[in-house]
Amino acid sequence: MLLLEGFSTALQPVYLLYALGGVFVGTAVGVLPGIGPAMTVALLMPITYALDPAAALIVFAGIYYGGMYGGSTTSILLNTPGESSSIVTALEGNKMAKAGRGAAALATAAIGSFIAGTIATVLLTFLAPVVADFAVGLGPVDYVALMVVAFLTVGALLGASVLRGLASLALGLFIGLIGIDDSTAQQRFTFDNPTLVDGVDMVLVAVGLFALGEALYVASKLRHGPVELIPVSKGKNAWLSKEDWKRSWKPWLRGTFIGFPIGTVPAGGADVSTFLSYAAERKLAKGANKAQFGKGAIEGVAGPEAANNAAAAGVLVPLLTLGIPTTATAAMMLTAFQRYQIQPGPLLFENQGALVWTLIASLYVGNLMLLVLNLPLVGLWVKILQIPRPYLYAGILVFAALGAFSVNFSPSDVGILLVVGILGYFMRRYGYPVAPMVVAMILGPMFEVQLRRSLQLSQNDPTALFSSPFALVVYVSMALIFAASWWLRRRQATLEAAPAKEEVSV
Amino acid sequence: MSDLASTSAGAAAPTKRPTGEILFALVFVSVGVAGLATAGSIPIPPSETGIGPRAFPYIVCGLLVLCGAGVVLQVLRGKVGQAEDSEDLDVTAKTDWVALAKLVGFVVLHIFLIEPAGWPVAAAVLFSGAAWSLDAKPLWKAIGVSVILALVLQYVFGGLLGVSLPPGPLLEGVPFFHG
Repeated sequence: MLLLEGFSTALQPVYLLYALGGVFVGTAVGVLPGIGPAMTVALLMPITYALDPAAALIVFAGIYYGGMYGGSTTSILLNTPGESSSIVTALEGNKMAKAGRGAAALATAAIGSFIAGTIATVLLTFLAPVVADFAVGLGPVDYVALMVVAFLTVGALLGASVLRGLASLALGLFIGLIGIDDSTAQQRFTFDNPTLVDGVDMVLVAVGLFALGEALYVASKLRHGPVELIPVSKGKNAWLSKEDWKRSWKPWLRGTFIGFPIGTVPAGGADVSTFLSYAAERKLAKGANKAQFGKGAIEGVAGPEAANNAAAAGVLVPLLTLGIPTTATAAMMLTAFQRYQIQPGPLLFENQGALVWTLIASLYVGNLMLLVLNLPLVGLWVKILQIPRPYLYAGILVFAALGAFSVNFSPSDVGILLVVGILGYFMRRYGYPVAPMVVAMILGPMFEVQLRRSLQLSQNDPTALFSSPFALVVYVSMALIFAASWWLRRRQATLEAAPAKEEVSV
Repeated sequence: MSDLASTSAGAAAPTKRPTGEILFALVFVSVGVAGLATAGSIPIPPSETGIGPRAFPYIVCGLLVLCGAGVVLQVLRGKVGQAEDSEDLDVTAKTDWVALAKLVGFVVLHIFLIEPAGWPVAAAVLFSGAAWSLDAKPLWKAIGVSVILALVLQYVFGGLLGVSLPPGPLLEGVPFFHG
C-alpha cells in the first residue's frame, strides 16, 4: 500500500520528467570512459542541489541505475579495458562487438539489466521493511560488528593489496575525524583552522578522489590518437535472434539471484557478483556455447550484466535499513541523502516513509526508462564515446570544480578538491584503492559513536563487544566470507589468466 | 602532503627504483605520527565516563602508521603496487609531468579567478587551459567550446537550477545568468 503511495508521487508528470532526466544524464555520464557509477553520482550531485527532497531522490535513483548501465555500453564498444564492475562484461561483450554482434550484446545487456533490476527492486520492496523492523532491535554492539565487517570487506577484501586497502581505509577514517567530535563537541585535528571545524565535506573528498584524481591520472598517461571504437552493425541479423533469447533468459535470472544477495551483504557489491555470475555461466554452458566463451558468448554478457544491476539494488538494502554503505557508490548515495536531512537507518521507514517509498517506486520507473531510452539511443552513446579526449577530461575538471565550488560557494573548497585530487592521483599511481577511503570517511564517525556507546554501556569492558548473539553471528560469518574470498581469489586468478592467454594467440 | 608526494615521485620517474612509492607510503606514516602526537591534546570533558574523544584517533593513527610502514616493507622486498587501469590509459607511456603540472596550474588559476572574474570566465579558462595541456587541436576550437560550455553551465546551473554561481562583472547585467 505504501508502495502505491510512492508510485502516486513518482508517477506525477513532473517527477516522471525528473526520472527521465536522471536516467538520461546518469547514462550519458556513465557512458563516458573512465567514469564509474560512484563518480557519476559524485559529479552529478550539484544538479540536485536546488530540487525538493522527493525530486532529488528520484533524480538520484535514475542516476544510480543509469550510471551502472552506462558503464557496460562503454566496455562493450570501447576497445580498451573498463571499470571494474563491467570489466567482466567486456570479456565477452567486446568480442561479440568485434564479431559484428555489438547490437545483440547491448540488447542482452539492456534487457538483462531491466529484468534483473526489476526483480531485485521487487525483492528490495519486500525485504527492506522486514530488515528495518529487525534492525530497530539492534544495539550499538551489533552496529559495531556490522561496521567492522563493512570496513574489512571494503578495505582488505576487494583490492589487489590488503595493506594498501587498509592504508586507504585508515586515511579515510582520519579525514572523518577532522572537525567536531559528535559525542563531546571537542575539536579534533582542526589545528584552529576555522574551515576545518565543520570537517572536510564528503563531496569534496569524493569528487576529488574520483573525478579530479582520475582525470589527472589519465592525463599523465593519455592514449593519444583517435579513439578506437567498434562499429555497431545495423540490420536484422544484428538484433537478438530467437537463439539469443533462448540463451539469454536463464543467465539473466541466474545473474539476478547471484547479484542481489551479494549486494545485500557487505561483501563487495557489483564486482564480486559479476565475476561469480560469469564463472557460473562459463561452467553451465554446454557444447558449442561453451566453446564460444572467450570468443563472444552471449551468456557471458547476459549473466554478469544482470548480476551487476541486481547487486546495485541489493546494496540499497543495508544502505536504507541500516544506514551502512557497502560500496563507494552507496557511500555517495548516503552523502546525497544526508544533504536533504534524510538519515537512512532502521527508523527511516517510520520517520520518512513517504520519501523512501517514493525512492523505491522511482527505482521501478527508472529501470523501465533505462530500457526504453537505451536501445534507441545507442547511436547517441556512441557519439558520446567519441568525444575527443582533451575535451572530455577538460570537461571533467570543470564539472569537478563546479561540484566543489557549489558545496559552500567558497573558492577555498576548490583548493581542498585539488589537494585531494593530487592525493587521488598518487593513490592510483601506486595501486591504493580509493573506494575504502570514501566508505571509511562516511562510516568512521558513525562507527566511533556506536563503539563509544557500547563501551559506555558496559563500563568500558571490551568483551562486551562480543556479548550479543547477533554480533557473534556477524563475526563468524565474516570469518567465513574471508575464507571463501581467499578461495575465490585463487579461482579468479586462474580464470583471468585463461582469457589473457587466448588474447595473445589471436 | 601533496607537495612532498609530487617531488618524491618526480625523482622516481627516471630511475626504476621505487623511491616515489616509498615516499608516498611514508606520507601515510607521517600523517599517523602527527596524529598520534597531537591526539593527546584533545580536551576531555570532566563528565566523560567512556573511552573519550582520544581513543579512536589513537587507533586510527596507529593503523595509519602500521599500514604505511607495512607498505614500505613490502616495497623494499620488491612487491610494488599495481597501478590502476583505465580505458583511456596508455600503460606503456611515460608519465607526462609537464601536462600534470599545467593541469594543476590551471585549477589553481581557476580558484583565484572565480571571485574577481566570475564563474563563467574561470570555467572557460580552466576548460581551454586543460584542453590545451592535453594537446587539443586546433586551439581556437577548444577556446570556442570552452566559452559555449561555460555560458551553458552558467545558464543551466545559475539560471535554471538556482545554484548561485557568481556571474562576474562581465555578465552581471544579464538576468538569466543568475537564479
